[in-house]
Order: sequence, then C-alpha cells, then structure tokens
Amino acid sequence: MEVLSPYKEAADVILEAGGEPLKLCYQCGLCTGICPWNMVRSFLVRRIMHEAQLGATNFGSEDVWTCVTCRACVQRCPRGVEIIDVMRAVRRAVASLGLGIVPDALRISAKNIAGVGNPLGEAPEKRNDWAKDLKVKNFASGTEILYFPCCVPSYDADVKTVARSSVTIFNKLKINYGLIGTEVKCCGESIRKAGHEDTFQSLAKNNINLFASNGVKTVVAASPHCYHTFKNEYPELGGKFEVIHITQYLASLIEQGKLKLSKEVNKKVIYSDPCYLGRHNSVYDEPRKVLQSIPGLELLEFPDAREEGLCCGGGGGRIWMDTPKGERFSDIRVEQAAAKGADVIALACPYCFLNYRDSVLSMGKAETMQVRDVGELVAEAMSI
Amino acid sequence: MEKVKIGVYVCHCGTNIAGTVDVEEVAKYAETLPYVVVARHYPYTCSDPGQELIKKDIKELGVNRIVVASCSPRLHEKTFQGVLREAGLNPYLFQMANIREQCSWLHEPGPELTEKAKRMVGAAVNRVARHVPLEIRAVPIFPATLVVGGGIAGMQAALEIANSNHMVYIVEREPSIGGHMAQFDKTFPTLDCAACILTPRMTEVSRHPFIRILTYSEVVAISGYVGNFKVKIRRKPRYVDEGKCIGCLVCQEKCPWTALSEFNAGTGKRKAIYTPFAQAVPNIPVIDTEHCAYFLKGKCRACEKFCDANAINFEQSELVFELEVGNIIMATGFDTFEASSVPQYGYGRYPNVFTSIEFERLCSPTGPTEGHIILADGRQPESVAIVHCVGSRDKNYNEYCSRVCCMHALKYSHLIKEKTNAEIYQMYIDMRCFGKGYEEFYNRISNEGVNFIRGKVAKVTDEAIAEEEKGKLIVLVEDTLLGTMLRVPVDMVILCIALEPRKDANEVAQLFHIGRSADGFFLERHPKLDPVATMSEGILIAGCCQGPKDIPDSVAQASAAAARALAMIARGKIEVAAVTASIDETKCSGCRICNLLCPYDAIFFDEETKVSRINEVLCQGCGVCAAACPSGAITHNYFTADEIEAEIEGVLA
Amino acid sequence: MSFEPKIVGFLCNWCSYAGADLAGISRLKCAPNVHIIRMMCSGGISPFFILKALEAGADGVLICGCNLGDCHYREGNYKTIRRMTLLKKVLGQLGIEQERVQLHWVCASCGDEFVDVVNRMTADIKELGPSRLGVKSRDLTR
Repeated sequence: MEVLSPYKEAADVILEAGGEPLKLCYQCGLCTGICPWNMVRSFLVRRIMHEAQLGATNFGSEDVWTCVTCRACVQRCPRGVEIIDVMRAVRRAVASLGLGIVPDALRISAKNIAGVGNPLGEAPEKRNDWAKDLKVKNFASGTEILYFPCCVPSYDADVKTVARSSVTIFNKLKINYGLIGTEVKCCGESIRKAGHEDTFQSLAKNNINLFASNGVKTVVAASPHCYHTFKNEYPELGGKFEVIHITQYLASLIEQGKLKLSKEVNKKVIYSDPCYLGRHNSVYDEPRKVLQSIPGLELLEFPDAREEGLCCGGGGGRIWMDTPKGERFSDIRVEQAAAKGADVIALACPYCFLNYRDSVLSMGKAETMQVRDVGELVAEAMSI
Repeated sequence: MEKVKIGVYVCHCGTNIAGTVDVEEVAKYAETLPYVVVARHYPYTCSDPGQELIKKDIKELGVNRIVVASCSPRLHEKTFQGVLREAGLNPYLFQMANIREQCSWLHEPGPELTEKAKRMVGAAVNRVARHVPLEIRAVPIFPATLVVGGGIAGMQAALEIANSNHMVYIVEREPSIGGHMAQFDKTFPTLDCAACILTPRMTEVSRHPFIRILTYSEVVAISGYVGNFKVKIRRKPRYVDEGKCIGCLVCQEKCPWTALSEFNAGTGKRKAIYTPFAQAVPNIPVIDTEHCAYFLKGKCRACEKFCDANAINFEQSELVFELEVGNIIMATGFDTFEASSVPQYGYGRYPNVFTSIEFERLCSPTGPTEGHIILADGRQPESVAIVHCVGSRDKNYNEYCSRVCCMHALKYSHLIKEKTNAEIYQMYIDMRCFGKGYEEFYNRISNEGVNFIRGKVAKVTDEAIAEEEKGKLIVLVEDTLLGTMLRVPVDMVILCIALEPRKDANEVAQLFHIGRSADGFFLERHPKLDPVATMSEGILIAGCCQGPKDIPDSVAQASAAAARALAMIARGKIEVAAVTASIDETKCSGCRICNLLCPYDAIFFDEETKVSRINEVLCQGCGVCAAACPSGAITHNYFTADEIEAEIEGVLA
Repeated sequence: MSFEPKIVGFLCNWCSYAGADLAGISRLKCAPNVHIIRMMCSGGISPFFILKALEAGADGVLICGCNLGDCHYREGNYKTIRRMTLLKKVLGQLGIEQERVQLHWVCASCGDEFVDVVNRMTADIKELGPSRLGVKSRDLTR
C-alpha cells in the first residue's frame, strides 16, 4: 500500500497548469484511447491526469517525457482538459525543481539552446550560412517580410533544402523579404514543452526585442512550431507581429495570381498534416490548395488525415530524443503512404522532415519513397 | 393619508447572514431611520413564528410598511407579501433587502459586510416609505387547455385534465399521436412492452369526449395572456378525408411508391400513402407529397382507385383556425443526437453501427426485421458493443447527462441475450441507475452475464491487425479499471445517443415566449420548487422538452402540469400582478413613442382624447414605456421614479 | 485610506439579478462596491436614474441585462443598447468619463461572469478616481 503524500509545491504547479478543467476530468480514458502511442506501446494518459489530480505524479517515470503534444487527446477530451499544459507542468517540475532526471538527449539540446541559441549546438554566426550563395538580403528598414526558417533547416545539411527552396521562390517572385541577423535564437516552442520554461522566456524575449528593434511586422515561418509559438505564445510576452506559415503564404500568392505553376510534377503525393499546423492551429486547407495547384500532381490522403492526422513523433521535445525502432509513428506513416501508392510524402514541418527522412532511410525505402517539403514541390513546378 | 410607520426585520438566516453580518447592529441602525417605528432581528424570519412577529407588529403597533432584510426577493418576496395580505395590508407596501445572496454570501467576510447591509436596509426603508398600495386585478379564464405534443407526456396531461370534464386540445405535428415511446420495444426496468402499455392510452385519448386530437397540425401563432390565450393552428392537408376514411388501409397496401420510414428511424420502408405504424391514432393515412407519384409526376392515383370509401382527396388544402384556451402545456419532447457528428465512431460508414433508436426498431416485433436482431448481411451477431454517452457528458457536444442511456443500454443487453447468444460489452463512464427499481435492474442484467468496461470509446474501426479481428468492427477503449488499452472485436456496435432539444426548440420557445436553459431545453420557473411552470404565466412544461427524462418522470411531470392547469381552471379567474404601467392622461402629450416600444402591443392611442392608453391586462410590466416617456406621464408601478430615486439615495447615503 | 468607489448597479430581474443571486449562492466573492437596485428589465432603466445616481454621488453606474435574444420581455435589452449609446454621448458632453457608466449582459446562470463584471468595473473606477460630479454635489450638500 502506498501512502498518499503529495509533493505539495510541485503538485500545486501542476494543478494550476491543468486549471479548472483538470479538476473536471472524470477519468473516462478517451485520451489514452486516442493517444497514438498506444498503437505501439502502452501510455496511459488518463493515469497521468489522475496522478496530477491527486498530487501523486511519478516524476521518475519515463512517461514524463513520452507525450508528443500532438493534441489529439485535447481535441476530443469531453471535459476540455488541457492535457498538454499538464504534461508541460510535470516536465517543468522535473527540470526546474529537480524532482527527477531529464533524459540525456534532451539535456544536451536544452544546454545547446540555452548556450548558443539552437538545439544543434552550432555556432550562432553560421546561422545564415545555408543561404550564402542565394543572394538573400538581410532584413532592413523597408523590408516587408521576415523569413524565419527554424533552426533545423538553418543547420541540418539535409533539411536546408526546405529553406533554400522557399527563398528561391521568393527571389524568383521578387518578394520583398529578408533574413534577420545571426543574433536570432531558437523560437523555444519545443524546449518550453520539454519543461524548460526559463529558457523559453529568455529566448522569446531575445527574439521579441530583436524583431521589434528591426521593425518586423510580418514573419513567414517555415516551421509550424515557430508559427505556433509566435502566434499564440509570444503575444503574451509582448510580441506584436503578424505570423504566417509558409504554406499559407504560398497559397495566398497562388490565389493572388502572383505565383504560377506551369511545370508538371507527375507524382502521387500524400500530404501529412503537421500537428502544430493542423490540430493546434486549424490550418488544413492551405497546404492542400498549394499541392492541388501543381499541374500533374495527384494528391492522396492518409486514412487518418486532417483532425485525425497521425503525429510524426517529433513534438514536445521528442525530436531530440531517441525513439526505438518499432515505436516510430513516422514508420507507420511511411507504410501507410506506401499502401496508398504514394511516391512522395509532402511535408510542411522541418521536424516531420527529419523523422520521415530517417524512417524512409532506416526502412530501406529511399528508392521508392521521396520525402519532400511542400515548398520544394512548388519550386519544382516553377522549374527553378 | 395615514402616517407612515415602517417595521424592519433583519433575518439571521441561521448563520448564513448572522455569521458575517452584525444583525443586531443593522437592526439598531434601522431604528434610527426616519419613519421606522420598530426594527427587530430574528433567526428565521420566513418561519411561522417569524411571520407572526410581523403580523403582530402590524396589528399592535400599527406598522403599515414592511422591510425584510434577508434573502433574495426571488425566493421569499411572495411569502412576505402574503404575510402583509393576511394582516390586512396591501402586499405592495413591502420591500426586501437582499443581504444574503447579494451581501453575506457574495463578499469576503469583514466589517464592510455590516456596513453594506446597513446601507441596503437604509435604501429599502427610504424606498418603502414612498410605496403606494396597488390594486390586484382578477380576470376570468377560458377553461380549455392546449397540449402541444402527443407523446406520452402530452397524452398523460390531456387525460388528467379531460377526466375532470374540461376540454383539452392535443396538437401533434406528426400524422399520429404516440411520440417516441411508440417506437420503443420494451421499457426498463420492468421489461413490459411499450406498445402494450401505450396503445391503450392512445385509444383512451382518442375516445375521450373531452379531448380533441389535432394531428398533422402545428401552432403558428399565439396571442393573449394567461387564462385568455388565442392560438392559431395550421392543419396540414392529409389528402385523405378524415370523415370518410374507415381506416381499412387498402390504399397503403396498393400504393406502389416507397420512402424510408421515419417511425423505423430509417431502418425500413413505408409507402407514399401511409400511417406511421399499425396502431396509429387516428388510423387515417396521409399522403407524403414528396414521394407520391401523382404529386411528383401527375399520374398514378392508385390509392384513389382502390378506396371504396372515396376518402382520397387530392384537392385538400391546409386549414388555419383559432382556439381559445386558458392554459398551454408544452410536451414537445426531444430529438436524438446525430451520431455521424462523432466521426470516429463510424456511424454512417459502417452498416453495423446502429443508434439506440434504430436498435429499438430492430428489436421490435413491428420493426423492419420483425424483432430479429440481425446484422446488415442478415447474420446474427456473435458479439455486440454498447457504447454509452454518445453526445452526452461531452463538452464537444452536450455537457449534460441524458439520464436514460445507462438504463436502456442495460435493457439492450437483456434483449440481445434473450434473442441471440452474443457476447455483450458495455463501454461506460459511470453507471447511473438512479430510479426506482433501476439498481435492481442493473443487478439482474449483471447477473445475466455482461462484460462491463469502464472507459469512453476512442474509436470504432474495421482495420484489423489480428486474425480474430478480421471482418469485425474493433472498438478501441481504455479499460480504466485495468489501466490497459483494449481492442474489442465485435459484430455490432450500438451507440447510445444523447437526447437533445428539438431542432426547432428556439423558434418554438420564441413563439410561446418561454425561456431555454443553457442546454437548450425549455426553462422551468424554478429547478426544484416549480419544475412544471415557465416564466410565462399559463404556459406549463412536461416531459423531455424540459430536459432528458425517462417515462415515469415524464408522466409524473405531465400529471403535475395538469394539476397546475386544473387548479387555475377550478379557481375560474386569476390574479394579475399589479406591476404594470399606467398613464397619467393629463400629462400625456400623445407623442406615441410608447406605442411602438411596447413588446406586447399593450399601449394604444385613443383617437378621441389624443392620448395613449395602456391595456392593463396585456401589460407585463417591463417598464420600457415609462423609461422612454418624454413627458414623464407613464408610471411603472412598484418601480416608480420616486421609489427608485429614493433607493438610489439610500444606497449612496 | 485608499479610494473605495461607490457604484450603483441596475440589474434586470430575470437574468442579471438572478445571476447576482447565483454568484452568492455559489459563494463566489466579489468587491463590495456595487450596490444593486433591482429593475424588471434593463429596458426600463430611465436615463434619469443613471444621471440621478451620478448626481447623488455614485462614482460609477453598472447596468446589467439579459443576453441579447434572451430578454424576458422579448427585446427590452435592444432598447437598452440604443438608450445607452445616446446617454454615453450626453455624458461625454458633460465631461463624464465613458467608463463610469457600463453596460454588461449577465445571464441567470452567469454567476461567475457577474463577479467578473463587478471586479473589473470596480478596478476601472478605482483607476479613474472619484467622480467629479459626485464630489461637486457632495461639496454642495455640505
């Protein structure tokens, strides 16, 4: 028998994070049933909520770090519990109160972000190296749009293509845009979900000040994660600028007739909804509109698309952690794509890009299945 | 005018007020106020001895104005006004200070509470000194009653009233009375068949000399007020002469055209000329013009050819007529939740996912399968999952509990066990078996061997990942008691769908001037003490239109509503609240601004005297006219400018 | 001592007064500064009552009615809106800050909203400070 003796300070932080709805949770288990982890392993979301209600959270459990914050549960919860906020508070208790151990991979990423402003631990002055040969201007007064590529395309050799294709399109269309200097730091969305609130606060303040002092009014973000935090979390900290996801921006260019796609891309393309674009921000149609505007392209849908779309496994800081083979959602997704007869998986998120790339490689499907960013396909259809 | 003598009574309400407000000090303060001759504090002023105290002071001290500082006037204003009346005082020489709900309960404890209470009492004293006696009017009432809706609640209410030899009209929009109950197979917890107890009732209603059934009809307009309603009814054409039709139903037999049967919840077919079910009352068919070939293409008339009674009349048109009634009982029932709005449960995609109402029809001997529980392909199910709370207790759909689903889910278990050998799984969140004999029923069904899985179903899918799942529907649910995710392969899924307000509840509420609660059902006057009345005098509610309920509760509420109507009929006249507006014709400039503002058309312009006048019977006392009158000619009685200004000065003193 | 504003609250009987009762019944707590006067309908609140309250020393006046569409008298609250719009213009011309007179919809099941309205309004008026009109008339009476 266990003695129920809540660790009061942490329990209160978590209860507060869950707010009123956590008290309303009636333990129906719908969250567990909907959680994609239960396709591959057991993860009892309901139990974590109940522990939070009682102040009996097991801070040492590996389940503290499992949630990918995909929002599938929150979307259906009959009592409106902000499950992700509870998960975040539990992690925060571990990270800041030292009630448990932060997994190594996450600790290193957190240290990198706090130290050099990006999770990869790369030098800040190399942030814009990906665009060296592309004649990209720096943001100056009079620049309309700030393009924000996310740390992953800025530094990762494979994912660079996401950013490079976007600026190639912009250059071709003579869009008045620019990149901000190398003082910019990671948006902090994921590290906040991983419980490092202080780090997030300092990143956000740095970026907000930087944007404000440069007079940034509109940001086009490559990553739904940056988009989400800019749009929904920065305003509370004083961030005042408009933010548009790259797929929304491309869709509007197409609609205005500024972007014309003439070259056929004769591929069967299946689009995977990023959680932070879809469920978190209800952007489902624009990426599809962009893809449907490409001549020759046949757009396929996953059996569980849009609101039901399966996470790639990279949210909530999981992108920096190792997920064992057999438990990777992106593997399931690649299988589904193959079953649907797709040649290309189209993505709109750098985290998805990383995970799908790894899946295709590790599953030996690189020959038959391409992983492409929506922007890359657009660039191809513009014959650039 | 006699000298104003005010008595002030500060209630302790046990410790509810006295716990945080110094009632003694409040009473002492009241004594210092002008016109106050006595100020007392008492533990429970609303109690008999508390009331006696007031009466005694009126008699012995000549107190002629009363202030009670206690709870909300919404709770006890009528009680204390009754005390005044019994003591021979006009009930409007009274004012309440709400120092419980809006003072002792509403603010953090501290010395300010007593100060605030004093100010509230001061304002009430200041106000009541200016009160004038108001006349209470009595108007005669029509003894007939209108019942809207011919389901079990409507029929019950109608019979209760008609049995006292007073006329009742039942208006039913469907071709037959009977309502949802007629669709049910057996009823919990007794398992008696719904038709066996309902159809005799229907016949009784149809044969009753004091009941007139108006089927295929709807209320389109209503005017008047309690006791004197005028109701306009529109009767849709049946295209069958009710006087001639003998109910042989040869027409139905011969009609070559079909449509999905509404009565069978779309699980079976009916003809284009039809009665919804065999025991329909009246047993007279209607022609559904949307499916009748004659109405669509101009030829066929098979029904007419075969009708020996010459009852078919394609020329029939709708009929609009007016009824005069004193009371109206709303018994409009419920609609069922649209199951396809929970896409993850697969309703509409998988043919073997049924709703509860469809399953009722499947079980019924008069249903499309003649009572055989079979799958879409005709096989008997070997396993059935019964999913609770579909559209109920869910922020995304309806937050309330639909109250009947746990019980009908248990009933389904029994019916399935009775007719098949299927394994049964109940996926529930909480078992709510609250009624008489319900817990016993739960025991009985548990004993029959049902698998209870505590968890809300996440998904129903046909994607098999194991051999035993192939060709089945797989129900994904966490068994929250085991703490394990389960995949339950079954042949049939029954969704226990929520009971919802009628789709047109809003329009109907507006038509009858009644309110709706946050859940969309009609709002009762008081949730505990007056669940059958509405905020509109003379309009009563019964059954599921007020909220989900089972048959016994619907019947009980219907009888209660009938009793309320009968009480009014027996009195023969009613007292109308004196809180109305009146016009000082010497001040009225005849500008007619008030004429247009009045929501009840109670103000009219007298062409002869060139002033506006108020029909006090139509006036509901909102005061909009008084607030708008540019000459100050209109007085809102009980809320006069003098009284309100006195109260303003009082609270700011 | 800090400034404790006096606010007169005119509440309609059917929704807002019931909402305030519900706040008490639910034991929600709000600032004690609003003094409630029960009216039958917000549409029956004469602009003179509001002016009278300001003149008699109120630092603010709160008017609460049913949500639009829920008026017990069908459409009284629409009349309230129109009347308030006009009155606010007049108040402006008299040099009285607009925030001193506020209109809010509070339904019969909105106890928490009522508490919220009262607390917000009290904070607003605290920020504005005492009403000059009230101060003047107080001085005059002295």
